[in-house]
Amino acid sequence: MADFLQLLISGLATGAIYALAAIGFTLLWQTSQTINFAQGEFVMLPAFFALVAMTWLGLPFAVAVVIAIVCSMLVLGLMFKVVVVQPLIKQGVLPLVISTIALSVLLKEGVKDVYSAEAQPFPTLFPDVTLSVAGVAVSLAQVGVLVVAFGTIVALQWFLGATRIGRQMQATAQNPTVARILGVPVERMILYTFLINAVLAAMASILISPIYLAKFSNGESLGLAAFVAAIVGGFNQVRGAIVGGLLIGVVDNLAAAYVSTSYRQAVPLILLVAIILFRPQGLLGRREERAV
Amino acid sequence: MTAVLEVRDIAKSFGGVHAVQGVSFDVHEGEILGIIGPNGSGKSTLFNCILGQLAPTRGEVRIDGRNVSGKRPSELNRLGISRTFQLLQVFPQLTVRENLILAGQEHKGSRLGRLFGARDAGLGAAADRMIDFFRLGHLAHENAGGLSYGQQKLLDAAMAFMAGPRLVLLDEPAGGVNLTMLASLKERLQAINRETRATFVVIEHNMEFVMALCSRIIVLAEGRIIAEGEPAAVRRDPKVIEAYLGH
Repeated sequence: MADFLQLLISGLATGAIYALAAIGFTLLWQTSQTINFAQGEFVMLPAFFALVAMTWLGLPFAVAVVIAIVCSMLVLGLMFKVVVVQPLIKQGVLPLVISTIALSVLLKEGVKDVYSAEAQPFPTLFPDVTLSVAGVAVSLAQVGVLVVAFGTIVALQWFLGATRIGRQMQATAQNPTVARILGVPVERMILYTFLINAVLAAMASILISPIYLAKFSNGESLGLAAFVAAIVGGFNQVRGAIVGGLLIGVVDNLAAAYVSTSYRQAVPLILLVAIILFRPQGLLGRREERAV
Repeated sequence: MTAVLEVRDIAKSFGGVHAVQGVSFDVHEGEILGIIGPNGSGKSTLFNCILGQLAPTRGEVRIDGRNVSGKRPSELNRLGISRTFQLLQVFPQLTVRENLILAGQEHKGSRLGRLFGARDAGLGAAADRMIDFFRLGHLAHENAGGLSYGQQKLLDAAMAFMAGPRLVLLDEPAGGVNLTMLASLKERLQAINRETRATFVVIEHNMEFVMALCSRIIVLAEGRIIAEGEPAAVRRDPKVIEAYLGH
């Protein structure tokens, strides 16, 4: 039982990080029909922004984290929208999908060439302490990841659900034509989602890199996890992406312990196949509707 | 009487198809003008030209004497021209009340205000009044997507009045609405017209609805006005009967 609880907590911690990436993935789809197959690389890259700030510029970790978030907003938010999405979305969804696949290769190989092909140790935000709660060993880092990830999700939900800008972003996702007629600045709302996605990716990157180390190829598994989480939860719901992310994290962890480590990566894919077969709109998704 | 809307010689062609061919009319303050015509007579094209959603091939649209040709729909919205849609256009996953607040031009104001200001943007009371007026009180906090078609039509109409419009263009408000709801919609539209003196232009297929709602009617056929006048006179006009019953 104690083992199970430990696995559950560490699974939730990883799952919360997947959820951050999956939420961003969903948001981009909702407001701009962008399916970002470079999402995994978007989570890989910010750790390297931080590493560059620390090792090349000699800045402290806390400053490096801020720089990583700001650089992500500029490069993965603003530049991604203006240089890649804006010109290509007019050609339809498929050319954009293929371009994001190309972008993922570019980012991955770019990091390998410019920084390093080796996995890099990455500092953690939390002290390396293990607590024992009722016989269950819980690492403070895992609790910290859960708290920060959930804090981010709660802040995002507040922003989308309780502010006027959030409501206008929802209106943009649900009916851009009418939103535009009513005077909602639709283009700016779409830009906000790209910036939010970049911040979520940066948060995920800073939380997951101490666990997996920062490596150019990290995006492959992270991107897949985010994609599967978004589909499993329901592609058109932010809360679906949260549930999907947590579920993938937990299932992945439990499968490694109780099924087989060699099949652990297959288990989320089996889940994906099952969901597509039996509940194609996802666990919480709705058919043919969009919302943020 | 002052003309709120003046349409001057509007024409619109799509390639070789002349959908609207030189249509002119005025709409006066507080009037409810109906535009009817058989399918393909150019009603929707004319509407879209007035609303800035299509650029007319020629002609001019004036609001309160001011030329607004070429303005975008959002600019016209700011000038006090609202519209409803033939195919429903509510925000399905926002509540009825939130739909109304959005329609009340809540985007006005500073960015900081939109982030930290009151969630209802000071439009909550107006939204509640509109909810009461259109008798949607029991549905105020339901998602619009969950409402029946007729209820959504009522919401759509209510949204058009949220910004205190000068002119409201209603595109087939009766389409697909059941008879009970239709009576309620007509009665509410007449009531709000009396109360606010807002001017309406209504495009509609449902003859009975238009005849009962409007004070004056224009009949379009093949992109031209073939008849104009009071409902009873239009109904008897042989040209109208011919256009509707076929050649």
